[in-house]
Amino acid sequence: MNKPFKPYPFTAKKYAARVPALEKGVDVKRHDVTIVGGGPVGLAVALGLANHGVRSVLIEADDSVCHGSRAICISRRSLEIIERLGALDGFLKTGLPWTGGRSFYRDTEVLHFTMPQDENQKLPPMVNLAQYHIEQFLLDAAEKRAELIDIRWQTRVKSIDARDDGATLQLTTPDGDYALETEWVVASDGGRSTIREALGLQLKGTSYEGRYVIVDIELESERPTERLAYFDPSSNPGSTVLVHKQPDNVWRIDYQLRDGEDADEAVKPDNVIPRVQSLLDMMGETGAWSPIWITIYKANALTLERYRHRRVMFAGDAAHLVPIFGVRGANSGIDDADNIAWKLALVVKGLASDTLLDSYSDERVAATHENLSYGTKSTEFMAPPSFAFDLMRTAVLSLAARHPEVRSLINPRQTSAITYATSPLNIADRDVFASGPVPGAVLAEYPVTIVEAGHGREAHLTDLAGPSFTALCFTDDGALPAAFATLAHALRASGLPFRAVPLSAHLHPRAQGVHAWDHTGRIFERYDARPGTVYLLRPDGHVLGRWRDAQPDDIEAAIARALSASTD
Amino acid sequence: MNDAELDAVYTRLCKTMTQLGEAKASLFLARFALLAIGEMNDPDASLKLIVEASDGIAD
Repeated sequence: MNKPFKPYPFTAKKYAARVPALEKGVDVKRHDVTIVGGGPVGLAVALGLANHGVRSVLIEADDSVCHGSRAICISRRSLEIIERLGALDGFLKTGLPWTGGRSFYRDTEVLHFTMPQDENQKLPPMVNLAQYHIEQFLLDAAEKRAELIDIRWQTRVKSIDARDDGATLQLTTPDGDYALETEWVVASDGGRSTIREALGLQLKGTSYEGRYVIVDIELESERPTERLAYFDPSSNPGSTVLVHKQPDNVWRIDYQLRDGEDADEAVKPDNVIPRVQSLLDMMGETGAWSPIWITIYKANALTLERYRHRRVMFAGDAAHLVPIFGVRGANSGIDDADNIAWKLALVVKGLASDTLLDSYSDERVAATHENLSYGTKSTEFMAPPSFAFDLMRTAVLSLAARHPEVRSLINPRQTSAITYATSPLNIADRDVFASGPVPGAVLAEYPVTIVEAGHGREAHLTDLAGPSFTALCFTDDGALPAAFATLAHALRASGLPFRAVPLSAHLHPRAQGVHAWDHTGRIFERYDARPGTVYLLRPDGHVLGRWRDAQPDDIEAAIARALSASTD
Repeated sequence: MNDAELDAVYTRLCKTMTQLGEAKASLFLARFALLAIGEMNDPDASLKLIVEASDGIAD
């Protein structure tokens, strides 16, 4: 069977290489931060730094955003981060939102799962879009901040001299080679990280034998956006097939190879096209289709032991490889970027000790272990690593239609926001809270009305958290207590990004300044808050601490402790 | 038992069986079934599970 390939319905703009002003072969400027790798993670780090007014140089080996079949699922948590980076609109306009999925065993539906979604949410639990879209929207936002983000396309790192006081990168471009001096390096240069290799570091963990063929096709179909999993389908007996819808009539199909199947043979169009055709026939998809891209995938569960190595911080696939099942790859990288950006910005600005960067490693390594524990379970189900996992999976699937108690074992355990429960930055609760996000957690979303000069607008709780430390002050009258206003003034005068926002259970049309009205009453209740309660957020939106009757000293001490973070 | 606990037990069962090897897997599962029957201590429930476990296997 033969079918002509089509290109992805996307044309990437090409960028020329550019060599900066040099003196004796060295960039005349010494840079604060150099980001190696301009994928989603590197772009997110650059945008996060820019939010704090910190300049960065972004080194990208290619001449455009990426190509091929890569990440396609962006989580609600990632969307929250992307909103703070100023790039959300494109994601929501182009991305396909979805809330759940279905799994089939042979011809029977055995699981219909949904991700957390209710009327309190601002953003969908997941959107699908291609990685070239993801990178393009982040790049668009970065290009608007050209005074802070200096992108150097077609530039490769030849070597790095990493020292206690900075690093020197030897770079090569089609227009000539040069050296660059930098205080800090963020290595977001992907799974085959040049920087990681140059520093002699190795990822450790488990590589799985099960292989999947990943095919992107173009197909017109009205089928809704959801995750479809077919176990032992009649179209491809003995195999497992995943189907995801992407924008612009692109569909992602992943199917498992049988043991002993030759990978080089398996990715040949002559072998792929009939399998896709037979899958589409089974699904009842009768529209014309064309292959776009074929590749092969093996699941890895690997990580560096630490993500900070003196002046070099690793992020995204350069730091860890998590299995695709559960969509934690790009999403965990965006979380890395969100975590490192504010910490590095405050260190560069001289507002925090460089030990704050150790907490980046502590928090994100712990997050990776959580991601890997879920990702490993998904992988053991999707690509059984032994006869026993295979046998037990058959038992689960064949029982699931009539025995709901086993269905949770089929659930793909999709990515969800991670709590930094053991973070050295957390302020342990002094007071007892019956509910609400614990220190290290992200905000639980609820609607609010933001009231300013008597006018209200509908918003959500996460809208109150900017790229700053934010004190959510629960009040009676919608006015910030004078002592907190004084504190906010003093902290900002010292250069620290800090905001204090009063929340009130009631509308106060005449209140001075801005306040958030908990018009549903749910926030006071679900955060176990009363007037006087404060939840203090970090610039990445995680709760740093919370107090029943907060004093300004509590807030000041919590921030001071974070900025001088020591991990003892 | 919550989902995470079921997950953990399931994974332990799979890993134990993997270590024993395919040749001993049937004996392992048979012993597990006997111990579960003893633990349940309920003949009617056990007989019901025998029916449900065999149901549909022949297909």
